[in-house]
Amino acid sequence: MGAYVLRRLWQIVPTMAGVILLIFVLFNVVGGDPAYLLAGKISNPEQIANIRKQLGIDEPYWMQLLIFVKQVVTFDFGASWSTNEVVSSMFASRLPASLMIGIPLLILETIIAVTIALAVAYVRGSFTDRAAMVTCTIAQSVSILVYIIVFQYVLAYKWGLFPVQGWGNGFFENLFKFAALPVLIALVVSLAPNIRLYRTFLLDEVNQDYVRTARAKGLSENRVMFVHVLRNASIPIITNLMIQLPGLLVGLFLIERFFSVPGIGREVILAVERSDFPVIKAVTVYVALATMLANLAADLLYKAVDPRVELK
Amino acid sequence: MATWPQETTGGRVRAKHLIGAVAAIVMATLSAGCGQSAKSGDGASNVASPAKSADGKKVVRFPFVIGESGFDPVTAHDLYSSEVIDGIFDTVLTYDYLARPAKLVPKLAAEMPLVEDGGKRWTIKLVKGAYFSPHEVFNGKKREVTARDVEYSFKRHYDDSLKPVWRFLIDGKIVGLNAWYEKSKKSDGLLWDEPVPGLEVVDSHTLRISLTKPDYNFGYVLAHVAMSIVAREVVEKYPNDVQSHPVGSSAYFLKEWVRGQRIILERNPNWRGGTWDFKPNADDPYDEVIVKQMKGKPLGLIDRVEIYPIEEEQSRWLAFKNKQLDFINIPSSFIKQAMPGGKVAPDLAAEGARVATTVDPEYTYNYFQWNDPVWGGAELHKVALRRAVAMAINRGEEIEVVRKGTAKRAEFIVPEGVVGHQAGYKSSIDYNPALANALLDKFGYKKGADGYRNTPDGKPFSFKYTSTPTALEREFDELYSKNMEAIGIRYDSDKEKFADSIKREKRCQIMIRGAAWIADYPDGDNFTQLLYSKNIGESNNGCYKSAAYDKLYEQSALLPAGPERDKIYLEMQKQFEADTPWVLGVTRYRNQMVYPWVLGYKRHPVMLANWMYYDINTGKGN
Repeated sequence: MGAYVLRRLWQIVPTMAGVILLIFVLFNVVGGDPAYLLAGKISNPEQIANIRKQLGIDEPYWMQLLIFVKQVVTFDFGASWSTNEVVSSMFASRLPASLMIGIPLLILETIIAVTIALAVAYVRGSFTDRAAMVTCTIAQSVSILVYIIVFQYVLAYKWGLFPVQGWGNGFFENLFKFAALPVLIALVVSLAPNIRLYRTFLLDEVNQDYVRTARAKGLSENRVMFVHVLRNASIPIITNLMIQLPGLLVGLFLIERFFSVPGIGREVILAVERSDFPVIKAVTVYVALATMLANLAADLLYKAVDPRVELK
Repeated sequence: MATWPQETTGGRVRAKHLIGAVAAIVMATLSAGCGQSAKSGDGASNVASPAKSADGKKVVRFPFVIGESGFDPVTAHDLYSSEVIDGIFDTVLTYDYLARPAKLVPKLAAEMPLVEDGGKRWTIKLVKGAYFSPHEVFNGKKREVTARDVEYSFKRHYDDSLKPVWRFLIDGKIVGLNAWYEKSKKSDGLLWDEPVPGLEVVDSHTLRISLTKPDYNFGYVLAHVAMSIVAREVVEKYPNDVQSHPVGSSAYFLKEWVRGQRIILERNPNWRGGTWDFKPNADDPYDEVIVKQMKGKPLGLIDRVEIYPIEEEQSRWLAFKNKQLDFINIPSSFIKQAMPGGKVAPDLAAEGARVATTVDPEYTYNYFQWNDPVWGGAELHKVALRRAVAMAINRGEEIEVVRKGTAKRAEFIVPEGVVGHQAGYKSSIDYNPALANALLDKFGYKKGADGYRNTPDGKPFSFKYTSTPTALEREFDELYSKNMEAIGIRYDSDKEKFADSIKREKRCQIMIRGAAWIADYPDGDNFTQLLYSKNIGESNNGCYKSAAYDKLYEQSALLPAGPERDKIYLEMQKQFEADTPWVLGVTRYRNQMVYPWVLGYKRHPVMLANWMYYDINTGKGN
């Protein structure tokens, strides 16, 4: 196990090198020149050249790449080009708000989606199953924007159940007051596809011989579903969960914008609009790293839930 | 079909699970909603503000439509950061709160500057007793603003390490300043203590500025928020982060700043104060109400200013309707809900909300690339082509459909509300597609087999419009495409990032693009310079070159505002129409909706932070 983990961690190095190179090439080929944005309304070539010098983008490419590598190694991405805020402090101040929505969402979504998926898999082919699937299909067809607009208008404005927008200072105030509606909306949006997906995973297992054997042995239906079926279906469920984990770092930018949540998602979008390379670099590197670590965690969890899995 | 034992009890199980799922969601909804009270409907009936701090202080709350960047006057390049800067820092001059068109008045100056030597020498006497807000760097002592601070603040625009964006306001204008900068570049950093001949500190409260040439508009520069006065000690304590530590001498100081979430300002305890004494405009009846509400009151009655960046229009609008905000610029997508038929909606009128409509000192325009072989140049057939396009663009439809009625057509090269604007002037180029077609026919732009026109020498061409990939620009694509179709010109939409457009624009590489210019200062010169050929690569983004226009511009730049300059502006307009290097667009309105507990509110076209002129009805008698 230890050797496996070390090997996988070592594999992160060449993958990260590829990511670095890709980001660097993409930014320099298709990214805009931020100097022209930062120069203000009226500027001359000399001032633009000065800004390029201050940003370090007048250096030869190899030098810029070297600096980028150093930044990744030291996790010091410098300061935002447009706001001068240190990137690490930007992440430190924005990430908690994104996680305040992302983590409860992930937990609730998993519990509710798995529960409903189990329920409909249990009654597969019935009217309830079909009704649930039709509802999920319809729910999936509606844009998240519609959910946000309608829920914000009805639940927050008309009924006054939630704040229309905003963010406070305290942990519990934010979690139970300001994050509640964003979580609810994200939950409603994500439940439909996840229920369908998890139902498929569960149905794949329900038709297996070992389930028939379990039933033949006279095990209760609850034990068959919750112990045997759920455990075997958990590998694809874990995979799906782990895929979603790195997304926590990027946040739910639309929801953050609508509810004025000071999360990382808003910053990422602004950074792209402003060609703010230090922020874009940091986000991409963090997400790539989180993805690789989540994949490793997923592999380890496979082993934990299914001892037959061998880590090679 | 398989028959599993559990299916015999499926109905009960199904119901149980469905109810469970629905209950989970409902419970989540209800429990999440518990304990919050965002909707604060009370207080509207007696028109007192629902927002009071715990200690009963007066609070005003309003939104920004985008996050701020930082509060260093030299580096802030966005309007919203500039508004906060304007509330924190003093400038030498400012604007009269009610006077329209905008009128300069002293702020940090004790009186209006003495202008001598034909507009080349400006002597400024600073008011005594103006102090920076308390800061640890002042070691507990009150720190007075002096002429040295003004000199230092002006020099900061030459600190390249800050990436200054407003240097153009003074660049090349002050005697010896550029030479000082060049000399500094050769040494180890800026020579802060070396005197600049054109920035002469006569005594602690007197500064004499010598200009390289007459400039009667320099007063507007002195009122510009970028020329705010900073304390050198603070800058030296935070050399690269003044934007997070703004310390000024105006009415407010930065109490709390959570980037992108909230900006809280409180009244500067060291502020010198003043008395509300402005005269109403004859053409705005509401000014009388404002004067009645405010005359004789001390300035700076608002104790705390709370600003919330709220990017989405629905969120802003609902927050306003929920009384979480005291005033708002009505979002364009809610204009019909807020003002059906041009009147305040009944529900809002019942709350006492009113609308203050102002015209921005700006206009939009579409420029043609003067260097383009098809569209640019002074040859007659090219002028005819540009003029035909100008006559084909339907600004009326733009105003109604795209702008939702919140704009008016711009006719003159100096927009409304800006000194030098000629009210009532009607451009000779109006919407007339039939005449546009006739003009193109006359100058040899014949239609080919595909139904589209070719150049007089038979080559195909198109109206290649460069813009960003936004929803608004897609609406313009639809409009212009239809307009060009009507005169048989191919339409070609060219999408790219804004930064790329600016880069190509400065290199004269964009064929046609839409742009907007909002006044840096409310004088015609700020607009007429957009067509001056020496500003190619800087602000003349169509790269228009006309010796006749240049000559007129140079004459106008030496004159103070008045009939003589107005006459020259009229000649420049005629030259502009003759060449048609742009198609003038629209001037946009801002419809501000204000709750009745905000007293004295009036939006100024140029001055950004007006909070010191407001009061709030707290219901306890003001």
